[in-house]
Amino acid sequence: MPLSNRFVYEGLRYLAILFAIVIALIPIAWMATMAFKPVAEWTTAIADVTWLPKNPTLGNFEYIFTGETEEVIVTLDRIAIRPILSSLLIASFGTLIAVFAGTLGAYGVSRFAVGRNLPLGVLQLRLFPPIAVVIPVMVMWTFLGMVDTWWGLALIYGIVTLPFAFWLMMTFFDEVPLEIEEAALVEGCSHWRVFYRVTLPMVKAPLATTCLFVFILNWSDYLIALLLTRKDWVTIPVYMSELSVAMTGPMYGAKAALGLVAAVPPVVLGIIIQKHLVRGLTFGALKQ
Amino acid sequence: MTIPAQLLLVFIVTFPALMLIYLSLTWWGPLDGTTWIYAFESLNWFDNYVEIFQDGRLWGSVGRTFLIMAVVVPIEFLLGLGLAILFVDRFHGKRIFYVILLMPMMIVPSVAGYMFFMLFQSNGPINQIISGISGLDFDVVWLGHPIRSMIAIMVADIWQWTPLMFLILLAGIISVPEDQLKAATLLGANWFHKFWRIVLPRMKIVMVIALVIRSVEAFKLFDIMWIMTKGGPGFSTETISVYIYKLTFFDLEWAYVSTAGLVIMIFLSLFAVVGLIAMGRAKRKRLANPG
Repeated sequence: MPLSNRFVYEGLRYLAILFAIVIALIPIAWMATMAFKPVAEWTTAIADVTWLPKNPTLGNFEYIFTGETEEVIVTLDRIAIRPILSSLLIASFGTLIAVFAGTLGAYGVSRFAVGRNLPLGVLQLRLFPPIAVVIPVMVMWTFLGMVDTWWGLALIYGIVTLPFAFWLMMTFFDEVPLEIEEAALVEGCSHWRVFYRVTLPMVKAPLATTCLFVFILNWSDYLIALLLTRKDWVTIPVYMSELSVAMTGPMYGAKAALGLVAAVPPVVLGIIIQKHLVRGLTFGALKQ
Repeated sequence: MTIPAQLLLVFIVTFPALMLIYLSLTWWGPLDGTTWIYAFESLNWFDNYVEIFQDGRLWGSVGRTFLIMAVVVPIEFLLGLGLAILFVDRFHGKRIFYVILLMPMMIVPSVAGYMFFMLFQSNGPINQIISGISGLDFDVVWLGHPIRSMIAIMVADIWQWTPLMFLILLAGIISVPEDQLKAATLLGANWFHKFWRIVLPRMKIVMVIALVIRSVEAFKLFDIMWIMTKGGPGFSTETISVYIYKLTFFDLEWAYVSTAGLVIMIFLSLFAVVGLIAMGRAKRKRLANPG
């Protein structure tokens, strides 16, 4: 390619990428700045729409965390701390279930001729929309007293994200060389001991990746939490969507502040594991 | 070792499927005062199935779901592919641009829905931007209008999931062996030829994976929809998930919902079987003549 063409191409590339980045950031920026706007700037006439807050304030954060702030007359009956803790606990425990069952299952399928149907069986969990089994789940969860409990929601999170944990760990196990395990077996280790003492330490980092990946998925759920929680254990997305119902008027700033709080963990964790994102999202079919 | 996973599967697939079949043959609802086991008391055989085929609102929501899928997935695919092509070779700031472009995908979907709910208010920034560009006084109602609210939802979905396509397709492009591209360059192939003849054929499977994953997820669309419009105005933006959610919690017609759920599951299973057969065939073909 002649030099001048090269420059034109480079210039166009940067222009296109910059455009994409602006589009990608506009919604995020609007919410982020909204979180720091005082009540008067939440809704304005269209001519007065401003992107940066004129009088930046932390009042929105104060409001969702303490229930009151100077500008809003109504106090909040339920503050955001409990939902945030619920989200953390439930997403973590759901991750534990998915990764435990997924890792064991993946190891079994990867090393022994058991559970041939399992890979596809697990995958169908991802195919069916959760709403298709809403009635059995509601009935079962009610029967077992698991509606609006942290373990009830964590259990179904564990099931829903099992396919990701399973397939991710399976590709990681497939990459571990068999020789070391065979050597340990020859030395007289039992299969369980080999798994626990030899294989698991070798996949420590992939295991951590899997955990973070599954945690992001659990943290992001809205529909299932909406189905299975009522009051005590609502997670952030459910709490956020109910914030305006309980209040008079749209709670733009408060919701934006909460949205910002909810958005930070998955973005940070996602950036940490970005090398493995492709693998996770394609059930191990692709690597980078 | 596979026992925990197998148990979870039985718990959430086998048992619920049986319960769906059973309940779909009755008129049982949560207000009947009996547990689901006694649903046979209101046995009505196939009335629910007959009703399903006459349910215009259901088929409307099915059609809408597929419409959204048919619009959103190809657009995301093309945008993602375009971006991926831009990111093939090295340039300054690639790393940081890459991370920023992936961000929409990592935002919690319900929060993303809320972002677009704010953006599409009639006195919100979208109208302001359009006014600024066009110079007109632009203040249309987006979310209260049957067609424009669909557009708003599609925009939100495209914004959030184009990065996924970009991520997958970029991984696919990068995995094309470099020596083949170099050989082609030596033989005088131009950029377009290299892309069309070498990159695309080797990316077929990656593309299918990307399209399948996105289509499956688009079929489940609920979060942004529920946050932005709740299926309204009227029923005009209801997807399958939104309609069934409403039936479950507002109309309490649980037997009918079971029937609908079962029909969806059977329908998707047929799709899956066809897909798996096709994939198996493709794999065998690839094994037969690798490279």
